[in-house]
Amino acid sequence: MKFRKRETDTKVDIQMSAMIDIVFQLLIFFLLTLKIIPPEGDFNINMPIGAVANANDDIPPMDLKVKLEANPDGTLKQLYFGSRALGNDFPFCFERLNQDIAAIAGGQQGYSDDLEVELDPDYGLHYRYIVKAISACRGRIQGDQQVTYIEKIKFAPVDRPE
Amino acid sequence: MKIKHAKPTIVEADMTPMIDMTFQLIAFFMIVTNFEQTQADERVKLPADKLARPPKVARENDIVLNVGFDRNELGQKISQEPGIFYGDQPIPIRDYFPRLKDEYTLAAKQFGEAEARKRTIVIRADGDVPTGLIQELIKLGQEAGFEKFALKAKSDDEAG
Repeated sequence: MKFRKRETDTKVDIQMSAMIDIVFQLLIFFLLTLKIIPPEGDFNINMPIGAVANANDDIPPMDLKVKLEANPDGTLKQLYFGSRALGNDFPFCFERLNQDIAAIAGGQQGYSDDLEVELDPDYGLHYRYIVKAISACRGRIQGDQQVTYIEKIKFAPVDRPE
Repeated sequence: MKIKHAKPTIVEADMTPMIDMTFQLIAFFMIVTNFEQTQADERVKLPADKLARPPKVARENDIVLNVGFDRNELGQKISQEPGIFYGDQPIPIRDYFPRLKDEYTLAAKQFGEAEARKRTIVIRADGDVPTGLIQELIKLGQEAGFEKFALKAKSDDEAG
């Protein structure tokens, strides 16, 4: 009986070019669609219409008023906490506001629900100052953790200039 | 004299490291690419604050309003009148009420009044926008029926 000669090992060539084409197309797609956007956070504001959110509470929240006066060009003219003027040296005046809020709210761990801040900005004040004011009232960063002073922040009724 | 003929040889480049690297690059870009912030408008120069942190639980069905100035490619203001970017053209803030009302009516039909009220209006406003206009926008939102509002800011504090 005649035996066939043993077949030699054959090398299987995988067609790579199609895969490489697709991979490069994917790479170019992701390169072009990549937008480097810094992470964004937000400040929540609860403003039900009529502002009667605490009508059922026995003790109304203690109202703290922060007033922000503006120059004609929209920059900060004067920052007030209650009737106390805190200056206009941005950003240090907001640090003073933060310290004042901490003195009232910071000591009452867990009781910041009883406090509410009303922001009363001038109409033309630039929005960036309001973000700073909200941040100063909301709390501070300690290490990596956020220490919250006051959660409830609202706006005073808008006073539109004639 | 006998001349040796060299056999033509096919040089095969080793593609394996290149493919490895390319896959790693693709994986990197897939992870880094953020498809969630597609509602953000690049013309809005957000103020920055350390305390602005992304919400722990991602909100669903929120309405993002980009409030800012029309800017050129260099980021300079073309117009001094801020508006809400809806498509290409900014819409004056005081003219935006019908759209907010439509949003509320649509949400109320789809999910019910209670759920519609819970939808958050996320305001992405430029740092130079007058605060009074933001207050007016919030008031328009209230009149349309919404109760929850969120003000966006960049999470870092380097820009001041």
